[in-house]
Amino acid sequence: MSEHEFHPLVKQLLDGDITLADLPADLRAEGEEALRLLAAVDRSVVSVPAVTWRVMAGLEQRRRRVRPWLLAPALALAAALIVWILPAKPAAPALVTVRFVLAAPDAHEVSLAGTFNRWDSHATPLVRSGPTGVWTATLTLPAGQHQYAFVVDGVRWVPDPGAPAVDDGFGRRNSVLTL
Amino acid sequence: MRPGPEADGEIVRAVLAGDRERYAQLVERYRDRYARYAARMLGSADAAEDAVQDAFVRAFDQLSQCKDPDKFVSWFFLILRNRCFAERRRNRTESSLEAAESVAAADRTDGGAEAGERRRALQLALMELTPDQREVFVLKHVEGLSYGEIAERLSTSVPSLKMRMHRAYDTLREQLREHK
Repeated sequence: MSEHEFHPLVKQLLDGDITLADLPADLRAEGEEALRLLAAVDRSVVSVPAVTWRVMAGLEQRRRRVRPWLLAPALALAAALIVWILPAKPAAPALVTVRFVLAAPDAHEVSLAGTFNRWDSHATPLVRSGPTGVWTATLTLPAGQHQYAFVVDGVRWVPDPGAPAVDDGFGRRNSVLTL
Repeated sequence: MRPGPEADGEIVRAVLAGDRERYAQLVERYRDRYARYAARMLGSADAAEDAVQDAFVRAFDQLSQCKDPDKFVSWFFLILRNRCFAERRRNRTESSLEAAESVAAADRTDGGAEAGERRRALQLALMELTPDQREVFVLKHVEGLSYGEIAERLSTSVPSLKMRMHRAYDTLREQLREHK
């Protein structure tokens, strides 16, 4: 055994199988040296809060990259519908005031993204009302059908639990509001 | 009564069913815990952050291959472990001293200058171990797992782990004496 090697009993001490008191007196000093080594182990937390955002943003970005191809037929259909509708006499749509509510007690921020704000997840933040974790926003929208989702903490897209939802064709559920 | 946290398996099944945003819950749940493992393995908090991020993205891509969704975290751990070992192979030339200081600067939270110096010396010595030895030391003495738990995670035997660990103790002792 070289001078750098711990005695087998001291290794048992390091493994937690025996205590310092179990060591013979002539190994106590070596045992104390071994315990000092373990005391220097750094068990502090390594906090990487940005990882959640970076992972989810990366996944979302990849998903969106696929969208233009998938959207092409839908855009063509929309264009056809516009052409078909245009000859009708345009009328100013009625406006309706709507209150959006989401209970999210653990959220730090909540916003609303939908057809009415071009799915911009930063455009319409909700306000937390009181300590109950209920978030609200009041909007005035044109009558008709709108699709939307809540965006919790910038990464989690959540359909409105109080509204019907439809598949957006990309694996996500959009809530539907008909005014 | 407030409901308890949702089981990993339920979240994994929801993600596989198309609710991708739920994956953020798994990332939140495990990112810091495994960043510590990666930081001790790689000797750098920045490298650990990249490794954890890559491992979560890779796990998402391969999620359908997670045979037991209730054991997501054991499966994820193996992905991160492979990533850390690959990273060490790529960066053998990286200065250990630089790496130890990177960890020391990034996560120093308590203790005086002397305690800080002892931690830094140990982190430096850890980087002199083989990756296999370092891993068993980190899992037992940083993460607090038993030999039995480590053996289960790494699909190996307790005697083999003890042999690795006991060699690690001797190397650490030698390194720390040289450092004095």
